[in-house]
Amino acid sequence: MTLYLQRSLLFLFLFFCAAVPSRAAEWAVVIVSSERSTAYQEAADAVLGELARSNVTRRDVHQMTTAEWNAAEVTGARLFIALGVEATTVLARSEVKAPVLATLLPRASFERVLRDCGRRVSGQFTALYLNQPLTRQLDLVRLALPQARRVGVLLGSESLAQQAQLEEAAVTRSLKLVSARVEPQEPVFNDLKKILNEADVLLALADPQIYNSSSIQNILLTSFRAQVPMVAFSPAYVRAGALLAVYSTPTQIGQQAGAMARAFFQGRALGLPQYPQDFSVSVNEYVARSLGLNLEPQALTERLRRLERGS
Amino acid sequence: MMHLKRRIHLNGLFFAMLGLAQLTCAQELVALSEKDYLGEVPIVLSVSRLPQRLDEAPGAVTILDRQMIRMSGARDVADLLRLVPGFRVSTSFESNTPQGSYHTSLSDYSNHVQVLVDGRSVYSPYMQGGTGTGLQTVAIEDIERIEVLRGSNSAAYGARAFLGTINIVTRDTVDTQGVQAQVASGENGIQDALVRLGWGDDRARFRLTADRRADHGLSGASGPDRVNRVNLRADLRTSPTDQVELRAGQTVIDAGVGFSDQEGNDVRTRSMDTSFVQLDWRRSLGPDEDLAVQFSHTTETISDKFPYRPIAGVTISFGGRASNDNLMLQHTLRKGADLRLVWGGELRRESLVSRPLYNTDAEFATDFVRLFGNAEWRLHKDLVLNAGGMFERGNVSGDHLSPRVMLNWHLTEGHTLRYGLTRAIRPPSTYEKSGNVRYYLNGTLLDSTTVARGNVGPELVLSREIGYLGEFPRLGLNLDVRVFEEDVRDYIKSFNYALPGSGGNNQAVDFRNGEDFNIHGVEYQIKWQPWRDGQLIFNQSLVDNSQSVSGTYSPRPFHSMGLMLMQKLPQGVEASLMYYQVDASHFPGTDAQAPAMSRIDFRLAKALHLGSRRGEISLVVQNLGPSYQDFLPSFYFRQQAYVMLKLEN
Repeated sequence: MTLYLQRSLLFLFLFFCAAVPSRAAEWAVVIVSSERSTAYQEAADAVLGELARSNVTRRDVHQMTTAEWNAAEVTGARLFIALGVEATTVLARSEVKAPVLATLLPRASFERVLRDCGRRVSGQFTALYLNQPLTRQLDLVRLALPQARRVGVLLGSESLAQQAQLEEAAVTRSLKLVSARVEPQEPVFNDLKKILNEADVLLALADPQIYNSSSIQNILLTSFRAQVPMVAFSPAYVRAGALLAVYSTPTQIGQQAGAMARAFFQGRALGLPQYPQDFSVSVNEYVARSLGLNLEPQALTERLRRLERGS
Repeated sequence: MMHLKRRIHLNGLFFAMLGLAQLTCAQELVALSEKDYLGEVPIVLSVSRLPQRLDEAPGAVTILDRQMIRMSGARDVADLLRLVPGFRVSTSFESNTPQGSYHTSLSDYSNHVQVLVDGRSVYSPYMQGGTGTGLQTVAIEDIERIEVLRGSNSAAYGARAFLGTINIVTRDTVDTQGVQAQVASGENGIQDALVRLGWGDDRARFRLTADRRADHGLSGASGPDRVNRVNLRADLRTSPTDQVELRAGQTVIDAGVGFSDQEGNDVRTRSMDTSFVQLDWRRSLGPDEDLAVQFSHTTETISDKFPYRPIAGVTISFGGRASNDNLMLQHTLRKGADLRLVWGGELRRESLVSRPLYNTDAEFATDFVRLFGNAEWRLHKDLVLNAGGMFERGNVSGDHLSPRVMLNWHLTEGHTLRYGLTRAIRPPSTYEKSGNVRYYLNGTLLDSTTVARGNVGPELVLSREIGYLGEFPRLGLNLDVRVFEEDVRDYIKSFNYALPGSGGNNQAVDFRNGEDFNIHGVEYQIKWQPWRDGQLIFNQSLVDNSQSVSGTYSPRPFHSMGLMLMQKLPQGVEASLMYYQVDASHFPGTDAQAPAMSRIDFRLAKALHLGSRRGEISLVVQNLGPSYQDFLPSFYFRQQAYVMLKLEN
């Protein structure tokens, strides 16, 4: 009896395994992840959770990594969601017919993929960025450090493109931008010291040429010594010693991507690339305390949201 | 070919040893991706790196920052201590080197303060625990800031923090990249020079500084006095969680001492050669936990001898050598938002060999085992309790506990009251315990001076203080007031006693715990930015000390005052003025009356731009007023001016 049951289960399992490819045409959404680590899975889970609120069920969604990519397997999909740069690149290079929503990647990376793959932004190939709009970051500086007037920024090859935009956003907020271009292969020290002499706050813009796990030690220690707090772009930097950061979690990104997918199935176009709507603020309360500041992350998040809603 | 191969191999070995095999790899430019936003980065401002706020520190702290140090024109750390309320200073090299003491009158060696240089205690076992040579460890130009904790603090800084701790923090290697050279020349034979090289990258950075400080010394003293120093510092990041710092240095102080009319203390050059190596390893165990290990080894060799003129062939020597080995482990951790703990242990060995001072070639070794801990506990949003202590077991001085409690209460934003109690000790130095100075001629004892009998224990101080810290941001003003009472027990003093057969007058000198006295008073400091680019620092101190010196000096309240005014002007010009005045008192270690004195220093500097190089030319005039007596009635500090030229790439 037991043996029979086991055999039946094995048979059923093999049947389903064999049946998987034949279901390809039925998948509504295919989520392609750059890799299988936690952040991507959190984003994918949030997409699934959001889709489940409409009539797209978990069975209609196929998840795969770029390593498992097989264009023939997914020809019938109606929407692709790419999580990360690698997944976006794979989809940009593929000939898939359905629209692609690239997400969990910063704007600069998306634009680079477009250039490298000769693609253009359209309703067929669009993005939900992972990074925050500069206006939001500067608004946070204003809310958290109302005394700060001069915002220091180190610009590297990846962040240089944002200079004009940043300048404009700063001016409209009566902030003065103190920026320095760091040449590739040059150490950050000299420019950093110059910036710290003149700035009240250091705004970190993601750029691996400047901010990486080897350089962060010096940047944070030097700015802390100069009593110039850092406003960063990820919670890891806050744990490391930045004063605060505004960022979107993979779950927040996944929820918004899921909501866009839901709207898409209700007939709305994906539209142009956009920044995340939902975000979090985190504060290193120990750094804040030693700088004599009292910052409440929840309150800051709320105030920032209200400011963006214009109320 | 063979040769080349071997060289490469050695290079490889060197970097592999440091765990830096990738040091020379050029950093590849990596494109931005989501990993920059989602990835982890190492914890940098870990729990032990975050300093306590001044208004939550368990004591009164004066910070002399880089700008003050630079704009003071000071050539010695002791000169800067005038800006700390309650300090008396001397620039004499006669017994030691320029030195400072807090609340007590200056002694020959200033051994009641603790001096730390980048966390290493730098007292001299040879000089009875004196701190003068320690203040000369690094070039002024390499100092980032000096934090002076006013008050007893053995609980946090070890057994020598009897009355005050001077914590010298050198500049980070990030801030000293490139080449810098400077020369100063002026009156009284001032000839100072410095060369500094800084190089490296994010993984490993280095600094090498060589400098000289030279002048003719105090008028009336036997000068000249020369300090030659070299210091190396290497900061190595061996992994994302590990930081290793290596420091090594040597200071040679050649001072002209003695008097031509004193045969037993004739004119000569005394040389004090101090070398050290210090290794610090810090591991971050997470955002809330750190481990630090420090090892240091310091040696000092003193050469001090001269022929005894009355008898040909007799040489008088005070030379010898000493060393200090230290191993310390410190664990810092945070428990929740309201509790921070530091605890650890320390093993220390002092050893000393000097036939002239101990009448034996045997080594005196003193071992200390110390356990220390401090809890910074936020009892309430506005109430911080610092409670801690140090237990010390000395093979010579026995077991002692130095506890401390300090409560800081933030009355309102920017206004803090502090109250606390501290007990601190200073163990007797080897000389006070075992000094044995004999003068022989052909095996016959001619005379003896110190013949210590060993009946001496540690000195003790119980202190109570009330402090107030106020910030007045609208006025650009900070105020720090300290009202204190320091009850000193068993203060170590020298006594003459009859010792038949000791030669000379059959008298010898011994050290005993001979006096209890009370120090109380009030002091305050103000930091004020009255206008743009201007800063005023002012301090005043009134100390009533019942200590008798040799018995004929009647104790009286002692008032001192320090002021520094700094002003940055257009065109890269900056001007500063320092003023210092003290009441009449007595000279160190004697009852001889010292008149009141005052001193004005002035500095004018202009930044230079020579192509891509930056530089500075400055003029410093020290003691604009009349000469004043310093250290001994016959020593005068005269007006002296010097010009300094500095160039950096």
